[in-house]
Amino acid sequence: MFSTELVVQTFISGVMIGVLYALMALGITFIYSIMRMINWAMGEFYMIGSYLQYMLVAFLLGPDLWWLAIPISAAGVFAFGLVVQWGLIKPIFKKPPEARDDYATVVTLALLLLLRSLATGLAGPNQFTPGSNLPIVMVGPMPMAGARVAAFVFALVALALFYGVLRYSWYGLALRATSQSRVGVQTAGIDVLGIDRVAFGIGVALAGLAGALLAPVFLVFPTNGLITTVKGFEIVVIGGLGSIPGALIAGILLGLIESFGAAFIDSAYQNIYGFALVLLILAFKPTGLFGERGREA
Amino acid sequence: MSASFRFPPSFHRSVIAILVTVALFALAPLVAGDFALHVLTIGFYYVILASSWNLLAGYTGQFSLAHHAFAAVGAYTSGLLGYHLGAPAWIGIPAGVVLAALFGLVLGRLVLRMRAIYLAIATWAFAETVHIYLTADYQFTRGELGLSVKPLYSTIGPLPYYFTFLALAAVVLIGLRALIDSPLGYFMRAIKDNELRAKSLGIDTTRVKIAVFSISSAVAGLAGAFYGHFIGLLSPQMIDFSEMAKIVIMVVIGGFGTFLGPVIGAAPVQIVMTYLQKYGEWNLAVFALIVIVLMRFSMEGLASLFAPVWRRLWARDHG
Repeated sequence: MFSTELVVQTFISGVMIGVLYALMALGITFIYSIMRMINWAMGEFYMIGSYLQYMLVAFLLGPDLWWLAIPISAAGVFAFGLVVQWGLIKPIFKKPPEARDDYATVVTLALLLLLRSLATGLAGPNQFTPGSNLPIVMVGPMPMAGARVAAFVFALVALALFYGVLRYSWYGLALRATSQSRVGVQTAGIDVLGIDRVAFGIGVALAGLAGALLAPVFLVFPTNGLITTVKGFEIVVIGGLGSIPGALIAGILLGLIESFGAAFIDSAYQNIYGFALVLLILAFKPTGLFGERGREA
Repeated sequence: MSASFRFPPSFHRSVIAILVTVALFALAPLVAGDFALHVLTIGFYYVILASSWNLLAGYTGQFSLAHHAFAAVGAYTSGLLGYHLGAPAWIGIPAGVVLAALFGLVLGRLVLRMRAIYLAIATWAFAETVHIYLTADYQFTRGELGLSVKPLYSTIGPLPYYFTFLALAAVVLIGLRALIDSPLGYFMRAIKDNELRAKSLGIDTTRVKIAVFSISSAVAGLAGAFYGHFIGLLSPQMIDFSEMAKIVIMVVIGGFGTFLGPVIGAAPVQIVMTYLQKYGEWNLAVFALIVIVLMRFSMEGLASLFAPVWRRLWARDHG
């Protein structure tokens, strides 16, 4: 039972799924670090990404062009994010600051409900799966489903791109500056509300990307974003809210704990191990592994 | 709480108003049919949930997204005790309340030291974990098969349940009102307005937040435990996120952070949702839109319409 092969396989699948969870967590933490708000409807942007991917593959591009559908789905979610930010989130900043948290929480919760209900109302409670004709791939000695490997590779590319833009472009500099001081960047002549819009778009696009990538694995249905979003929030607590390396490392950690828990303890409780880790972290290192110093109060 | 503390006159007025309302509702069975009474009973259940959530979110500024999960903890504790050990409701219900309060206490101690947003994240994860657990461990909890719970009364008529939940709602509301008008209540509002300042004035804000979180979780557990013995069949559906969303909708439509808000928001929303059930998901979509529009243009709900009436009423009586 405790063979090396099983350990290696469990490790690989844990890392692979962990990186995808990290995409979700990154979206949450990125929006938070710029806008100081939590978008509770992340799972619904994930859901929209997966529906877009399904529709593109099933009706427009065909399964051979799935790789083309993925950036298009993510871009679609990005555009939708811009609209949502403009229509619903921007007005937060016309309110007194102490009301912002309440407003953001309630509005994004209502948005969650609205999008979920619309998906059920329009497409029914059915499960769809975008056809995937990717073959089984050998990762080292292990056979892996092609769709999972492809999702992993795409996620790595997206993460590299995200990091590159943030680290080396002028716009990335502006984004990082905004996360440090919203007032400070305004004195440097940066349009903070414009930054917000793009940051919100990028954040939800990361969720949409995860949705599109995981569509063949976790299927497409109105509440399919739920589990991944819960993982995303758990990762954010483990890694520390506002920390980008924290999101990545905690994502992989969560993926590993889950897959080892499933393989060696009981697979029925796969989705619970993460929460146990969250409680442990909160009890012993409440700032998270890479938490910002200002986390307390 | 200092010994010299006395409740403000507004407390006595509120108690009178609650008792008068309860007396009016006690007459409802004379005119309402069985189904209407059943819907109202569920409405009272949501009045309790919405009011106790409002205590935490509206008055203290701490968002729990697990209020429905605490109700389920209460319901399942009593249900499982009855199912596996044959424990009667008078043991099961208090056990459910205690367990819900304990979960609140532990979770609160872990996250309430930190910024408010961590409570929301941790409670959200907690609720989903409870949901997953109840579904996964079906041999113990009966999962999606449903856990049958012994009814409180031997009759199937809705009348005894109607009065039970009416009385329960009255007791809870008076209790919450007393809490809000007590020194703890002033601390709560001080924390919501400006936590740093409250701290600088010597309030142990973390302790206040933990206390309020445990109390509101216990009340949710209480409502849930009674609810389980009323509907007779529990399923993990009880922790579906739409339940939490419903509580938020009720509070926002009624009036966030006002005492009256959840009371006048909960029952009407529940009644309208019941009658719009045939439209399924569109029903929820419409309510979500209403909430977005309300939040977008004014954060005051129905309660703001009643506030002037309330003030005029007492101004006339007391000069």
